[in-house]
Amino acid sequence: MRFEKEVDIRAPKEKVWNFIWDVDRFIACVPGCKEAKTLEAGKRYAALMTEKVGPFRVEFPITIEVLERDEMSRIKAQASGADNKIGSRMKIDLDVSLREEGDKTKLSFVAGVDILGKLAALGHGIIKRKADQVLDDFAQAVKRQLEGDA
Amino acid sequence: MLRRFRLEEPASVREVSELLGRFGESAKLYAGGTELLLAMKEGLVQYERLINVKTVQGLNEIQSSDGIIRIGALCTHHQLENSPVLRQSLPVFVKLEENVANVRVRQVGTIGGNLCFAEPHADPGTLLIALGAKLVAEKTDSRREIPAEAFFVGAYETCLEPDEVLTEIQVPLPATRSGIAYLKFGYLERPSVGVAVAFSRNGGDSIGDIKIAVGCAGPAPKRVVEAEEALKGKTMEEATQRLAQAGQVAGRAADAISDLHGSQEYKEHIVGVLLKRAFQKAVSQG
Repeated sequence: MRFEKEVDIRAPKEKVWNFIWDVDRFIACVPGCKEAKTLEAGKRYAALMTEKVGPFRVEFPITIEVLERDEMSRIKAQASGADNKIGSRMKIDLDVSLREEGDKTKLSFVAGVDILGKLAALGHGIIKRKADQVLDDFAQAVKRQLEGDA
Repeated sequence: MLRRFRLEEPASVREVSELLGRFGESAKLYAGGTELLLAMKEGLVQYERLINVKTVQGLNEIQSSDGIIRIGALCTHHQLENSPVLRQSLPVFVKLEENVANVRVRQVGTIGGNLCFAEPHADPGTLLIALGAKLVAEKTDSRREIPAEAFFVGAYETCLEPDEVLTEIQVPLPATRSGIAYLKFGYLERPSVGVAVAFSRNGGDSIGDIKIAVGCAGPAPKRVVEAEEALKGKTMEEATQRLAQAGQVAGRAADAISDLHGSQEYKEHIVGVLLKRAFQKAVSQG
């Protein structure tokens, strides 16, 4: 599943960039994500992703690995984890880029999400819709955080 | 494999609601078990407790009075397909129930369980929306009636509060000369798309109230008011000419998603085809 999102943030690029690396504040914007930990600053992080569709709950302990980092403009990362309770795995390839446009910063992200195992039995369409909603909420939360304290 | 769980056997709706309130998400209502136990066996959901609602008396009756058909939430599909009250007053619902899943599921699966589990590929919710049904939810100290169209909020999600129990489905007795039909299409065990149409006739030969609902295409069954508008108040001839347009509108409004049953575009097309056929069937039977 591939998702592309873009959000205009009324804040300078530097501020958006610094926010992304402020792990606790950043993770707080990802719905269902908590317990963020820095394993190796700038390189590896860990968090717990929880999500729910009706009675079906998943809890993925994930590790996030930063693969590429172009200062102030782009981050490539990969997140992966497994929910052993229900026997499912998740992998997210994330490509985040920042572009300055006047007094705003355009934050774009492309996410390739793979979900394997029993969770996939819920159906691709339902998972896709849920993931889409999570990403929308995330984009709006980032915008609120950065514009709120401008 | 099914993990161990405790089985609670309450005797009243109040007790059921209290148990739900006390144990929260570690407990789940258990009626027929045709969906729940499968999900538990697969390990997709785990509960410490199941609350067996079948021990509550009086929730499996079907009655018709004061222009309302009252269906107890614990009625099995088998009971519904064989109910003299429904055969007399709501044969379209009997027909739907005769074709739910398979005979083993119909024997133990309940209408309440079907609605509350809110599996997207299910039949009854769609027809109940078109029929303007109300679902009665009760808890320890209150009772409310929820229009069927507001009951489903997403895939596997309803608007029931954590300690609410669905106790009854109320279907208004259709007016004489009303036209009602439900059609579904699918090639897997569950339906891929289901469409329900229900309309009353004005004095002449025109359509009075009309409700159209689409199920299975999207995450939850939904009423498609946009398609109703295209047919409301029209003569049968005018409505027949507008069916293709109404079908397209319904397809777009159906909130269809791509899944194993078909792509979004395919489902939208099938919605249009089924709407046309369901309307024609409703006209011929009205």
